Formats: sequence, C-alpha cells, structure tokens
Amino acid sequence: MSPAWRVLDTGVREAAENIALNRTLLDALASGEAPPTLRFLRFRPCALLGFHQSAEQELDLEYCRAQGIAVSRRITGGGAIYCDEAQLGWELYVHRRDFGHADLTAISRRICQAAVAGIRALGVDAAFRPRNDIEVDGRKISGTGGIFEGDALLYQGTLLIEFDIERMLRVLKIPAEKLSDKAIASARDRVASLKDLLGAAPALPEIQARLLRAFEREFGVSGVEGTLSGAERLRLERDLAEMDGEAWVRLIERPTGEQPLHEAWMKKSGGLLRVRLRVDAPSGRLKQVWFTGDFFISPRRTVADLEAALRDSALEGLEGRVAAFFEGREVDMFGLSPTDFAGVVRAALDSQPLAPRTLA
Amino acid sequence: MATVRGCNLPDDLYYNVENNVWARREADGTITVGMTAYACSLAGEIVAYTPKKAGKSIDQNKSVATVESGKWVGPVKAPVTGEIIASNDAVAAKPGTINGDPYNAGWLVRMKPVDWNAEAGVLVTGAAVAAAFEAKMNGEGFGGC
Repeated sequence: MSPAWRVLDTGVREAAENIALNRTLLDALASGEAPPTLRFLRFRPCALLGFHQSAEQELDLEYCRAQGIAVSRRITGGGAIYCDEAQLGWELYVHRRDFGHADLTAISRRICQAAVAGIRALGVDAAFRPRNDIEVDGRKISGTGGIFEGDALLYQGTLLIEFDIERMLRVLKIPAEKLSDKAIASARDRVASLKDLLGAAPALPEIQARLLRAFEREFGVSGVEGTLSGAERLRLERDLAEMDGEAWVRLIERPTGEQPLHEAWMKKSGGLLRVRLRVDAPSGRLKQVWFTGDFFISPRRTVADLEAALRDSALEGLEGRVAAFFEGREVDMFGLSPTDFAGVVRAALDSQPLAPRTLA
Repeated sequence: MATVRGCNLPDDLYYNVENNVWARREADGTITVGMTAYACSLAGEIVAYTPKKAGKSIDQNKSVATVESGKWVGPVKAPVTGEIIASNDAVAAKPGTINGDPYNAGWLVRMKPVDWNAEAGVLVTGAAVAAAFEAKMNGEGFGGC
C-alpha cells in the first residue's frame, strides 16, 4: 500500500487564520506530531505580503481599509498578492528527506510540475516557468513559494479559478501606468484564470480532485481526508495570537522612498516601447518591470517572460541578463531589437523617479 | 581550511552540521554567526535577510535570522543560547553578500553566549569538520558547490 497523506480542506477563512495555519501545520510536521499533509484553502478578500516585504511599499493601504480588505504577511517569500474566495490555495507539508536530496530548486520544480499536471487535467495548457510561476501561454495562473523548518517543508500556491484584475491593480502597487482600460488589458496579458481560459470555471471539488490525483501520482501516496488534531488546534491558538494583528503586518517596515518608481520610453521604427519599473535602492535590484507599448513581438508571451526573468534581479549585469534571455529564443520583432529592452530599462533607471502613484 | 565537494569550510570555526551554521569565537567572548558555503549553495542567491533584533535572547537551535532565496524562506539557527548583540546592516542592504563571502562580510548576527562551554560540545571544529560535512552531503545527495 502506498503511504498516506492527510488531506485537509480548511474552507474559506480570514487571511490571518490561514497564515497561522501555515505555521501550525509546518511546526506540527517538523516536531513529528503530524503526517505529511495536502491542504486546500481559500481566503476572504485580502492582500498577502511576502515574508520580507513591507506593507507601505507593496500595498495601497488606504484602499484596502476602505474596501475591508484584510492585510497579512505570509511566512513564505516572494511578492504581494491579492486573494479572495475565487482562488484555491494548495499546500504541501512534506519531509525534505522524502525527496532523496536537499536541492530546494529541484524540490520546488518537482512540486510545481505535479501541480501543472493537475491543472492540465482540467483542460488548460499549463507549464512551469522558473523560478516560481505556473503559467499558461505566458500568463500566470498559479504563483508559488516555500519555507523550510529543519527537515519539514511547506510549499504553497494559489490557483486562479476566477480573478478580479481591476481589484488587484488597485490593491498592489504595481508599476502600471494608471488604472485604465489599457492597464487592465495589459495585466490580462500577464495573468489568467481557469474561467478566462475555459469559458466557465470548473467546480471546486473537481479542481481539488485533479490536484490531489496529480500529487498522489507524482509522490506515490494516497490522500486520506483528515482534520486538525487537538495538538494542532492548541498550536493554532498560539500562532493566531502572534499573527492576527498589526504587529505581524508591521514586522517589517520600510519607507516607500526606498523603492522608487521610474519610467522611460523610446520611439523605434516598430512603435513605442515603454517601461515602468520599481527598484529596491538599498540592494540595487529591480523589483518589478512592466513593458507596454504598441510594438509587434511574437510570441506575445516573450514580454511577460522577460519581466519574470528580470524580477528581483541585480541592476548590475542587466544588459547581459537581457541578452542571455533572448539568446536561443525564436522571437520575431519588427523594428525593435533585444538591446532596446535593456536600453529602455537603463534609460528608466537613469531618469528621475516618478511621484508616488495616485489612482483616480 | 577544509574543502568538501568544492565547499569551503574553514576548520577554525565551530559548526552545527545539521543546521548548516557556523560560529566564530571572538577575543571578547562573543561569537559571530553565519551560514556555511554549503548552505549558501543549497539556497542559491539570497535576496532577503531579516535578523532578530539586538537585545533579544535566543535559545540554542532557535532562529536568529530568516533568509529568502529563489522561492524559499528558511531560518538560520543559533549555534548556542545567547543574546543578539548586532546584526549586519551591509547584508541587509545587499543580501547576496552572504553567498559571496559567507565567513566574513556575509556574517548574520553577533551573539553573547550564555554558557559557551556548556553548549559548544555539540559543535564540530578542527579536523572533524571535513568528515562531518562529507557525511551530510552524502546523505543529502549533494553534487558540489
């Protein structure tokens, strides 16, 4: 018989409770109290920071307050996201030793590829895009991230069943031009939900069953429905006391001025190439890059892939990174060359920062 | 100086092999703590670092700092019980320094141990370092730095 994984469905919960459960279930596995677990979860509307991010830098807090959108901090890394009931969270709590090696990059790839198989079984052409995204034709459908505690691992993702892009643009300080039809259309080129791709969203039980099946196959286990143990409930109370409140959200506070917004454009024979980007000044890294314009490029996903390749990368070596990205790729452009992308980013970096974004 | 599978592991440091951390005893009785070259290699380029604040007391094997790399967050654990007396501002600004120079510029925290002599027995130093890490790397299927 194949080893058993507990399957938990914790339903729709507040952000703080879902995050506290991350800590609870990871610690319970690490201390040998709990079996390996696959958990499905959903969120009431919330903005979730990556562990090392600051709310002021990433979120429009005024908008969140006005709209009753909760703000919390994940224990995993990566970037801020907006979540509501229409996304399905999936999480694996597993032992590192079961992978037979300690290479975290290979571990996350293997987990993502299993999730990809589950998503593909729903009828969409999903693929893993290093480092952290599951995407469909260049559009992100599930972001992922992990944390380890000794030999215990938590790896999680959120699968977009349906997604309110306009709300995401308002909640997150994305370097979009402004909240316009154009910005929303341009965001749609980068994000996709099951409903967008299939016309109608599959039923939740079907999505969960497909994901479970894919993880069972990949890891040679069988899922058994379970519940939180008494010990886990006690842990959860303690973890929730730490994470339900301002102190947890303010654990890391950094001034917005550390991450200025820059913009540049260039007019080429192929059209206008514009970039907006956010830089983390102290570390000298690009945080986020957003290309727009009316240029022709094929395949279209090239732009989103390049943005993903530049995310969180050092400013040093930018030109080489862009060149390496285009090398060996079949990309058709008209009146535009790979060096123009590096050039426009460099021009933005050399420009005066923009005033903080205000949404009309 | 020991080199195991291409990873530099200076043998004058004290290692918690399981947690992949090192401690250096300073002349004033404090210690400096950091990640090993092996830990850095497993993590890949480190992009964020949050140390526990100075003044905080940390038990042995509890987290003194959190680091993030690629898609993973993980704790760095105290080699011995003690009080955090400093964290590394240069690393906070450029976390990649940890990968570039894990035993010098890339240190993570300085601590004042409560009782070094009582707790340091579990740490590995000197001639035993190479064999301890060779066994760990073997168990973890590690190809090399």
